[in-house]
Amino acid sequence: MTLTSISVITQRLIQATGVCLLAVVLFAFSNGNQLKRYELSGFAQGTTYQVIYYAPDSLVSLKQTDSLLRKLDLSVSLYEPSSLINQFNRSADGLVVDEHFRVLITKSMQIYKDTEGLVDPTVKPLVDAWGFGVVKPSQEPSAAQITALLQNVGMKHIKLNSNYLYKDRPGVQLDLNGLAQGYSVDLLAGLLERHHISNYLIELGGELRIKGSKPGGEPFAIGIEGVNDDAASAEPMRKVIKPGNGAVTTSGNYRKHHQSGGKEISHIIDPLTGYPVQNELISVTVYAKDAITADGYDNGLLAMGLNRALGFLAGRKDIGAYMVYRDRNGAVRDTVTPAFKGYQK
Amino acid sequence: MERRAFLKHSSLLAGGLLVNQRTFAADAGPLKVAIIGCGDRGKGIMYVMNDLPALFKVTAICDVLDFRLKAAQNISKAGPVKTYTDYRRVLDDKDVDAVIISVPLNMHYPIASAVIKSGRHLYLEKTMTYNASQAMDLVKLMAGRSKQVVQVGHQYRYSPLYYKVKEYINKGYLGKVTQVDCRWDRNGSWRRAVPEPGLERQINWRMYKEYSGGLVAELLSHQMDFINWAFDTHPTQFQAAGGIDLYKDGRETYDNVQVVVRYGDEGMVGNFGATCGNARDGYLFKIKGTKGTVSLLTDQGMFYAEKDLLKERGLVDGVTGATKITWDKEGGVPILPERTKDGTWYALKDFYEKVATNSLPDSNIYTGAKTAICVHLANQALYNSQPTYWKQEYSNIKA
Repeated sequence: MTLTSISVITQRLIQATGVCLLAVVLFAFSNGNQLKRYELSGFAQGTTYQVIYYAPDSLVSLKQTDSLLRKLDLSVSLYEPSSLINQFNRSADGLVVDEHFRVLITKSMQIYKDTEGLVDPTVKPLVDAWGFGVVKPSQEPSAAQITALLQNVGMKHIKLNSNYLYKDRPGVQLDLNGLAQGYSVDLLAGLLERHHISNYLIELGGELRIKGSKPGGEPFAIGIEGVNDDAASAEPMRKVIKPGNGAVTTSGNYRKHHQSGGKEISHIIDPLTGYPVQNELISVTVYAKDAITADGYDNGLLAMGLNRALGFLAGRKDIGAYMVYRDRNGAVRDTVTPAFKGYQK
Repeated sequence: MERRAFLKHSSLLAGGLLVNQRTFAADAGPLKVAIIGCGDRGKGIMYVMNDLPALFKVTAICDVLDFRLKAAQNISKAGPVKTYTDYRRVLDDKDVDAVIISVPLNMHYPIASAVIKSGRHLYLEKTMTYNASQAMDLVKLMAGRSKQVVQVGHQYRYSPLYYKVKEYINKGYLGKVTQVDCRWDRNGSWRRAVPEPGLERQINWRMYKEYSGGLVAELLSHQMDFINWAFDTHPTQFQAAGGIDLYKDGRETYDNVQVVVRYGDEGMVGNFGATCGNARDGYLFKIKGTKGTVSLLTDQGMFYAEKDLLKERGLVDGVTGATKITWDKEGGVPILPERTKDGTWYALKDFYEKVATNSLPDSNIYTGAKTAICVHLANQALYNSQPTYWKQEYSNIKA
């Protein structure tokens, strides 16, 4: 950014909001340097990611972010045949896990308890059976198959003892995709923080984490993807929010689903019943302090349905949600809970 | 869609030569279909119908070339179907409720007229007719035949994506549209292989003016038709340039064309171009308004908001969604979350629905006529090197 443009922005800000000149100048000249915009784009977790940060110099490179995410892939990616998680899934009774795996499984256990089993990484055999795994079956599972698969589902089947993750049945398998993307975003944030970068926006697979602001103190703005399968909601972007520091993730029923027997099947499988979730929620966008938390809860809230999700979030200050749902008449509506930051009607 | 049946109206004339105006009743059963013209398009439609067995049953196929009939016979999932080499015999077949016409353009009018007179429902490939007068005549022929359904094969606009874009336009999301840019380019001769030299004109009919309207009729008509339909308008003035600039192989239709039209009522300019000498753009379709641009492929599309609109709604630095969608510095967002199916699938499903409910298709004889007239006027401008103009009499074509 040039000095001229800083002074133009400053003038505009003073005109528009009366913001003190000093704050702006301090922002632009912290560390005695001008902040420049850097943008990195890459592939990880079977999706794309972008990092935008403002710094005096290119402190973090694509090589660093790629290498960081690659390590995580080797730990918990189901798409990586030799990953630790695939080794665990093939094992008879478990194995020694690494730090990433340990963090994710510990968080999963906590969210499992908190959501009374609605968020459960052992749901993998059911996800596969319903055609949302890496390998797609040719037909829908029968009731008998589901009952059999449910025998291997439930966190009671696994136990973490120091670094050894046990399972009590060979058929128990894990899928940590529900929070791995959020965790990836947190890892990238950690990398930036270690380089003393304090103004950034990170996105991976539609999961975001933000800190600080753009030059001039302008907050980062996030678009919540529109739900365009409905003729009444043709707006290209459903909502724009400015949440400030924190993480925002979205889980939706509108994108990842497939047709079976002419019926739409949701990719969210209820680990308690073994069947795809069917309720009025179209998408849930969650705000939390970090992305592992936001990502960890979004599927669970979607599985709860509107009323239970509203009840679950009513007393909570750490997690907020913006939910889009279909009302009884089929119209698309939305609602927001108190802890969801940056939302304006 | 609910399964519905297909019943022949009771007004069968003695002798069974004419089956007048068929209706459809609420019960089960697929529509019995004859395919007249088993080239690439006819076969393509048969493949799609194989995926819709509850709606369509191909009972007869017709082509003047034996090898095409053999190839088409192999596509039929429901076992061998009757074959004909003369379309008039197809119309004597009582086991035919609806006809698909996918023959060279010059034969659209005579065959379509015969099908309509026989009382059958008709799915007529685009462009509807070879010229403007045939388009007007076909409209006249359909007058009073309210129980017959005629759908014109501008199939791309049947996908949910194109309906959504029409909605964007009608709701003003694009603001005031001033320019439309369309291309349909390839890097190749646009020829089909000819098994023996004597069949050149029959197989490569697109190369010869006697049978075809060239690139404008075969490709650009889709985009012209969409603009006509979405804006409920038509060009008032046509200018064009082109030539046989690459393939001097005896062809008569141009391999490099550009048509510029003026939409006088809407205050828009349309640019429609096609070349056989560059494939970079391929299919390009951009609609440019004061608030934003829609950029379309056949099965996916993006909306780019203009800078002012972005400011109004706040600049977006990132997007949160159920899975990854674009993060576009220019503010681009997908119009639909997923790619659509091939337009023919939607168009045929809707054809069945319109027959079942006895209602007017969205790509109907009136919109089809309007587009056929546009193609005719564009080609006149192209081949005579002088501007052409919409005539008042064309505006009388209305439902």
